[in-house]
Amino acid sequence: MIKTLQASIPKVKHRIQNTVLLFLGILLIGVVLLSASLGAYQIPLESVVGVLSSKLGLAWGSYTEPQSQVLLNIRFPRILMGILIGGGLGLAGAALQGLFRNPLVEPGLIGVSSGGAFFAVVFIVFGAGLTALSPLFSLIGLPLFAFLGGLLVTLLVYNISSHSGKTDISVLILAGVAINALMGALIGLVLFYADDAALRNFTFWSLGDLGGSNWSKLGIATILIIPALAMIMRLYPQLNAMALGEREAYHMGVNVQYVKYVLFLSSALIVGTAVSLSGTIGFVGLVVPHLIRLGFGADHRLVLPGSFLLGAILLSTADLFARNLVRPAELPIGIITALLGAPFFIYLIVNFKKVKY
Amino acid sequence: MLQGNNIHFCITDRPIIGDVNIKLEPGKFTVIIGPNGAGKSTLFKILSGDIPCSKGEVLYNGKPVNSFSSQQLARIRAVMPQHSSVSFPFSAWEVVELGTLNAPQEFDQKEIIEVMKKLQIWHLRDRSYNLLSGGEKQRVQLGRVLIQIWKKQAFPRYLLLDEPISSMDVSLQHLVLDLLNELKTRNIGVLSVLHDLSLVGNYADEVIMMKNGNVSFQGNVADVFTSYNLEFLFGYPIQVRKFNDGPGLLVHSLPLHHINHRLSQVQ
Repeated sequence: MIKTLQASIPKVKHRIQNTVLLFLGILLIGVVLLSASLGAYQIPLESVVGVLSSKLGLAWGSYTEPQSQVLLNIRFPRILMGILIGGGLGLAGAALQGLFRNPLVEPGLIGVSSGGAFFAVVFIVFGAGLTALSPLFSLIGLPLFAFLGGLLVTLLVYNISSHSGKTDISVLILAGVAINALMGALIGLVLFYADDAALRNFTFWSLGDLGGSNWSKLGIATILIIPALAMIMRLYPQLNAMALGEREAYHMGVNVQYVKYVLFLSSALIVGTAVSLSGTIGFVGLVVPHLIRLGFGADHRLVLPGSFLLGAILLSTADLFARNLVRPAELPIGIITALLGAPFFIYLIVNFKKVKY
Repeated sequence: MLQGNNIHFCITDRPIIGDVNIKLEPGKFTVIIGPNGAGKSTLFKILSGDIPCSKGEVLYNGKPVNSFSSQQLARIRAVMPQHSSVSFPFSAWEVVELGTLNAPQEFDQKEIIEVMKKLQIWHLRDRSYNLLSGGEKQRVQLGRVLIQIWKKQAFPRYLLLDEPISSMDVSLQHLVLDLLNELKTRNIGVLSVLHDLSLVGNYADEVIMMKNGNVSFQGNVADVFTSYNLEFLFGYPIQVRKFNDGPGLLVHSLPLHHINHRLSQVQ
């Protein structure tokens, strides 16, 4: 299968890649419809289509007012948030793997998520002054701080583990372990000084799921994540060249420093925003790019958009399970992604020893 | 012309290269030889723009190397480092195709096919690069580098190769060196680090002989590629002879115990 999909003549390859993306897109729409329909309050598919089409000025299928209320106020923002965050984490994972030139890299693993979480906690506990300063801060303060934390940790880990453009994976993982431990300790320290309101705030936030999604949060996520997604996707030829090494990419005419900074900033922005809005959701950024490469080759022309679509599918599906497995209660979504992702990661490490790609 | 003027390079005050002057002319095949640790690879990296030199300057067609953007530089020179790994499962075709990354217009696939066929890697096009043998990988990397300067251009260009044929079998080595000799006629100056002295003697136009970070001899093969100079360079008995009084050169070096045996017989 892989052989035919990697058919080398670009015209054929591009047609296959486009078909794969189309297929993933259709799958995503399917998952979206299904998650809109299933939940503590069941809504038949016909009504879901009815509400959607009435918003577009059409009248396909019928629906009742409560169904419309649940869909418009609760389920649609949540589903769209799942798509944005799942897709964003998938793409950020692919970008970081390309940057570090290693398939084992993941935002949670190397400490980017916990760095974002630490800064988010700092904002929750000490940010009252800032929010008093300007109402804007109450909207974007949390994602902004999480972004800064994510960016700092990404730069730190990169400088620790990379030497003249080559990343030492064992140093990278160890640095991730150390940073995760450090950030955990710092979060504990900050919480020690927190007052009750801030603690309650933190507890809600750290439970981390898509449950709190609403249109205004979705708006913030869109403004912060979409430009970062676009910046990364434009860089697919450069990421392909970087797979050979930074020096080789430079020889082939890539402005390596520029590409690196765009990738640092964009992936930190995505991960930071995701962390601030939905807590740390692990393993999506690790598993998704892998599955795409495994099935359809390493060309970033497909890996980047494919990781976005598959990440969106995976997180939406995980959220579907989170909402329906213990109905009417909910499981935190992080539990589901970790249950799927951790065994897969172990499988990867075992295989990484055997075949080094 | 690619010029290196008064190049010095130090690592923590320890000189790696001390005062090297070289010229690489388009249309010529120039080879750097020398013992391990002579500074060949360091000089190579300075010339290709990877690292700046501590003193001196590198000029491409009269302009300093650091005045070019990476894109501009990629149009006038292609570089093949000694080792390149590929971190994801790209196919051989995809690796070669990367050489067209900087091409100003849509690149003609026919030329990629032509290069791959010339290097005898066309049949490997769909195979994963990381599963290829050492010699196959080297030819795929070479294909990537060649495609970068394959299209004819009006201005002189340069091809820098660090031990490009070290893992290839003897027939492929001749194939590649023939190809390089063909390429230099396109107003391209070829500079390569090589270790096989008889190949150097038979294919190179000019030789740069390096020892201890300095150039000991440089010039036309006919002038400087002599037994005397090579023995001095490597500190080992080496003999250069004409093959059947034709233009071909044979370069010998025998194991020391054979030489000692012969000496004892003479005595």
